[in-house]
Amino acid sequence: MYSLITLLFVVPVLISLLLLIVPRSLAKPLVITTALLLSAISVYLFIDTEGVYYFGVPAYVNDIVTVADIILLVFFGWIAIKKRSWIVGLMSLLQLAGLLYLLNSMPAHHSLQFMVDKLSLFMFLLINIISGIIAVYSLRYIDEEHCSSFRKKYFLSTIFWFIAVMNLVVSSDNLEYFFLFFELTTLASFLLIGFRKDEVSVKNSLTALWMNQIGGLAILAAIFFIHHNDYGDATFSNLLANAKAETILLPLALLSIAALIKGAQMPFSKWLLGAMVAPTPVSALLHSSTMVKIAPFIILRLSPALKDTPVANVIIALTGFVFIAAAIGALSQDNFKRILAHSTIALLALMIMMAAVGTPVTIVASLILVLFHGISKSMLFLNAGILEKVFHLKQSSDMDRLGESGPFTALVITIGFMSLLLPPFGAFIGKWMSIESLGALATDKKILGALIMVAVAGGGAVLSLLYFKVMGLLIARTGNEDKIHFEKTGPFYTITTYLLLGLLLVTVVGLPLLLNNYFTPVATQITGTTVALVTEGWTMYLGAVKLPLLPMIIAFLLLPVTMVAAMFVRFKNVDRAKEYMCGEKVNYSFSSFYFSTDRATPYFATAGILFFVALIIVALI
Amino acid sequence: MLLILLAPVIGGLVYGFERIIKARMQRRIGPPLLQPFYDFFKLADKRKMIVHSAHAFLGIMHFVSLWFALGVLLLGGDLILVIFLHLLSTALLILAAYSTRSIFSHLGANRTAISILAYEPVLIIIAVSIFMLTGSFDAAAAFQSEQPLLFKMPLAFIALLLVLPIKLKKSPFDVAEAHQELTGGVELEFSGIFYEAIYTAKWLDYVFCYALVYLFAGNDVLLGAGLIVFTFFYLNALDNSTARVSYKQMLRFSLTVSFSLAFINLLINSLT
Repeated sequence: MYSLITLLFVVPVLISLLLLIVPRSLAKPLVITTALLLSAISVYLFIDTEGVYYFGVPAYVNDIVTVADIILLVFFGWIAIKKRSWIVGLMSLLQLAGLLYLLNSMPAHHSLQFMVDKLSLFMFLLINIISGIIAVYSLRYIDEEHCSSFRKKYFLSTIFWFIAVMNLVVSSDNLEYFFLFFELTTLASFLLIGFRKDEVSVKNSLTALWMNQIGGLAILAAIFFIHHNDYGDATFSNLLANAKAETILLPLALLSIAALIKGAQMPFSKWLLGAMVAPTPVSALLHSSTMVKIAPFIILRLSPALKDTPVANVIIALTGFVFIAAAIGALSQDNFKRILAHSTIALLALMIMMAAVGTPVTIVASLILVLFHGISKSMLFLNAGILEKVFHLKQSSDMDRLGESGPFTALVITIGFMSLLLPPFGAFIGKWMSIESLGALATDKKILGALIMVAVAGGGAVLSLLYFKVMGLLIARTGNEDKIHFEKTGPFYTITTYLLLGLLLVTVVGLPLLLNNYFTPVATQITGTTVALVTEGWTMYLGAVKLPLLPMIIAFLLLPVTMVAAMFVRFKNVDRAKEYMCGEKVNYSFSSFYFSTDRATPYFATAGILFFVALIIVALI
Repeated sequence: MLLILLAPVIGGLVYGFERIIKARMQRRIGPPLLQPFYDFFKLADKRKMIVHSAHAFLGIMHFVSLWFALGVLLLGGDLILVIFLHLLSTALLILAAYSTRSIFSHLGANRTAISILAYEPVLIIIAVSIFMLTGSFDAAAAFQSEQPLLFKMPLAFIALLLVLPIKLKKSPFDVAEAHQELTGGVELEFSGIFYEAIYTAKWLDYVFCYALVYLFAGNDVLLGAGLIVFTFFYLNALDNSTARVSYKQMLRFSLTVSFSLAFINLLINSLT
């Protein structure tokens, strides 16, 4: 068991080093086998493991971690000097000072450093399978990038580095270790965002760096307060054990801040939006399986302690606001990847909110969202990369001919959007369960519950409008040609797309099964109370939430199938007509509509800052 | 159940009656009550013409999914689900319009999307308010409520009255259709038997809207009938007596006045 878990840490690191050395011809088999191996291990672990596993590492590793921490922070400082970024420098200095102070004052720790429970295993699945697919896709993508052959190897190597660090993040219990891995993900994302080395990339990678460093600082502060208040060692399990203590709120709030920053919640959304300049696999990685998913992970980890606290209430209010604000912000976007990024922020807000509510049902909702968002977003981003490399499209308004030039990619993107939107695809169920279970919240805290429900439902409506706006472009065609010919995009692109499509279909069809064997056990372990899943005729009950299956199934037949069928259905024996132009001859650009919400967005950031201030204040009181 | 099956027919009758009322308000005699059905049969005989298949197919699916949404509502299903389904059925129509390369269709689709933005939040708040009062999102809970919801959420009812013209494309909020400007907007490129789907979908929308109105009456059938009749005359009087506003004005009005009314009502409901 332990050896398998350690394999998840060691193998990607080794491969990441190997990829730097081996010739390019070997890179392909190496990446593919490793991706398969890691996925297989994570699936096996998930099926085979019961209970919670604690395990430690030899004492000298502690020293290595400490040294690594310092080296990393010094490296950040060096970056700050090299790039002349005072804010990165300031953050690095603060972090270094905090770390040195803690090292001086902290007692030696005795507890075990790693903890693997069902939540970690759940995250392993997401991280290894989805990132594996992305790594395979990058093999082709990076070939078409204009950079030296070493940089190409380095790119692939960093991806595996990222996978390793993510596996470590989700299984560390000790907060000092957690801090190191958290910072290492920051480093990996910094390197990947700045990969193209142009001016914008460098600027945005520095933004990502300092924003995430604030998160690191918050973790250090949390460690400090845990020691200060004598909760024993700074570990997650200790935090949860002391969940009832009065002063626990401050470390909890600080860790939540770290989570919210990683999750790109306003006003820290800028780093994720800026990350768009990187090669597309990086965006796919950041958005679907790594980096931002640390946010729901932390909150899920802390949710038993957070539940029903004022801190949780502020987080719920903040994320409710972010959900609707990000959706509104997305309406004015034209760049396809930026649209995706905004919707990621919105959906992350929903995941964090559900985790912060902390009832068994909302935990299930949060987990469903984490998984399905991972699959759908990676599919969408990978296809955004195909659009860029094969069709040379970046703006969504240019895509109005895609239905004819690249019907397969158009179809996949349409399915991807629908999977974020329509019943009975996972994200819809997650969204809907959140609304239903917030109803349960509303009985105690009526006003908060009512406001959040409006935000969730309203934000959902705005998001659907957004998705349909893009889908409207994808479906456009002239009608000159009736047949569709699927385009060829090369084996790596096609296979990864098919894999993700397959994953999506399997998870949708098997959702009742997955709920029973996959999501509820995780939620049960997190909350410590069993979640009952009962099926009565055509209605499924999860706790108090009712899922009417029949309308869901019919809705599935109606909507997604309609969208797919619309590409294939052909009416015979019908005459064709040209569009009515009212006798006018004008050149009209068939793009889409925009809502100029730009004027409102600066206020969103301000409001976000206010929420963060409120978070601290509430925790202090 | 019967109501669901007959919904298009009832909607057609409502439309026919509406045309008479409208004509009388303008001192005309107006068409016979069954005129919509005569039109319906005439359309079926026309030469079949389409722009392309996907467009025609989406139009038909708009009708089917709207009928389904209506069915879920009348069977007392989950209101949030109903609102989403209705949104999605409208979205199919928008998609159909986008799929052509027709200027008027595109403009119509843009405006329909803006209309959704204008009325959807109000509907959602009404659903949440109903949840606050009955403890369930099921429409059945509202239909069976002992005390009519109207007296508990009068402001929400007013808000509903203010957004219904948008949904039914009545003046002053008929920007989405706006015959003089957009020659029908999203409907433009449909013709003959394929237009039938769009034409009857509008009838379904009537039934849908009046079912929403009926939600406010609880289990009081008489009050429900009264509300429906009142809404009917209100809508037609409004349609006849006002001029179309621009879509920006519509959006602003709806998001400030209607939305606030419904929202205040929600706050009151959740406080008590």
